[in-house]
Amino acid sequence: MRELVVDTYRYRQLIWALALKELKVRYKRSVLGFLWALLNPALMMLVMTLVFSTILQFGIKHYAIFLLSVLLPWTFFAQSMSYAVEAIVGNGDLIKKVKVPKLVFPIAAVLSNIINLLLSLIPLAILVPAMRHPFYWTWLYLPVPMLALIIFTLGMTFFFATANVYYRDFAHIVQVVLSAWFYVTPIIYSLDFLPENRRWLFKFNPLLYVINGFRLAVYYGQLPKWQSIVASFVCAFAALLIGFAVFRKYQDDFVFYV
Amino acid sequence: MSDLDPTDQLAIRIEHVTQRFRVIHERPDTLRELFAKFFRHEAKFHDFDAVKDVSLDVPHRQTLGLIGANGSGKSTLLKIIAGVYKPTAGRVQVTGSLAPLIELGAGFHPELTGRENILINGLLMGYSKNQMLEREDRIIAFAEIGDFIDSPVKQYSSGMHTRLAFAVATEVDPDILIVDEILAVGDAAFQEKCFDRIRRFRESGKTILMVSHSIQQIVTHCDRAILLDHGSLIADGDPDTVAEQYHSIWAAHAAPAL
Repeated sequence: MRELVVDTYRYRQLIWALALKELKVRYKRSVLGFLWALLNPALMMLVMTLVFSTILQFGIKHYAIFLLSVLLPWTFFAQSMSYAVEAIVGNGDLIKKVKVPKLVFPIAAVLSNIINLLLSLIPLAILVPAMRHPFYWTWLYLPVPMLALIIFTLGMTFFFATANVYYRDFAHIVQVVLSAWFYVTPIIYSLDFLPENRRWLFKFNPLLYVINGFRLAVYYGQLPKWQSIVASFVCAFAALLIGFAVFRKYQDDFVFYV
Repeated sequence: MSDLDPTDQLAIRIEHVTQRFRVIHERPDTLRELFAKFFRHEAKFHDFDAVKDVSLDVPHRQTLGLIGANGSGKSTLLKIIAGVYKPTAGRVQVTGSLAPLIELGAGFHPELTGRENILINGLLMGYSKNQMLEREDRIIAFAEIGDFIDSPVKQYSSGMHTRLAFAVATEVDPDILIVDEILAVGDAAFQEKCFDRIRRFRESGKTILMVSHSIQQIVTHCDRAILLDHGSLIADGDPDTVAEQYHSIWAAHAAPAL
């Protein structure tokens, strides 16, 4: 764990450069370029707002904000997982030819998605007053669930980056897992919608607590209970400990399998 | 001087290094294949030592040439020294900074510009952003890239690509330079420029490791040569003698075929 912190700091310039490279390559050769990082979530929001205010009416006030407050962090997580499986395999050429600390690749993958997440919050911050939804002071609390989410995502990224080196099936498995995970996580709905006797089952979802923090802060203007905050960080650090331990154990062998 | 540990005089110390590769006849790339193999109780692989129990001391300021047929383990040995492979057995100790010119431009991303690639490549080799920015102009000048420096690398000719990579690797001023067969590329004028730079490296007291299929190049540029055969070190001495030995082995191999 110490190694993770020390090496991340030591290679911070490389990690930053790799993350920027990722973003540059993603938006290169499109006319609007970097603007897409903002436009993409903004247009998605427009669609959501139209769909849920005219076609599907759930009887939730300002449903678009209700949804987007957790959909944006979810998108960050899901996008990071798609990057994770490629983090080592996709840099195989480099790993085979240059001595390079392997951990920079998963970290850079997550970092480039963090930048996207932060950018996507800008259109949300515009949408809130535009829909006449109150702009709560609890927005200030957002860095806390964001930190927990980033730690959790990093752990999962380390794990899937490693797994996909040995079995390329994981690239596909991850997609299936993500789509199932999307529906068992209260993103398009809220836990209150579920019958009370089933709710306990959903509480095994390690993403529940952190996701809940985002929605409470943005939509309800409340802070989560301390138990929920603790649970979100316990899940986050458990994921990071396991993910990084697996990654560390196998990293010297990656070069033979990529 | 006598109170100094004699290993301080060494740039590279290699002790009983073995690099074993597991050659899997058909590696199960997917879980389905893994299960299939598992149930058929197949274990179709064999181990093979690309480098066998090699010990080698390279003092500072020496230019060492590696000679051997294809598959004799030269490149594997260089990759072990460069830290790309972690050897199966044995110890490697490298004193000083090292610039591997193993596969030039391995870290170049085709969509990024030459300038962006200079930075990333330098960071990959462990230099800081400031160090690279300081050297940027000299790198561009040596590589003779001109205005192309701000175009994506994918638009470069292969010669420009190689020149830029050589310039980056040698302008960073390493203590130890590893040159693997790269001087076969580029036109005659640029090759001369490269050799000129290598000569200056020698004169300024750097350690150089060089692989070339041109025995003549080894004899001209090296103080010492080693001969590898099927992963074992079979000769070590002054380049003329080792070159002769290589020729006699080669003749012996070739004779039965005649």
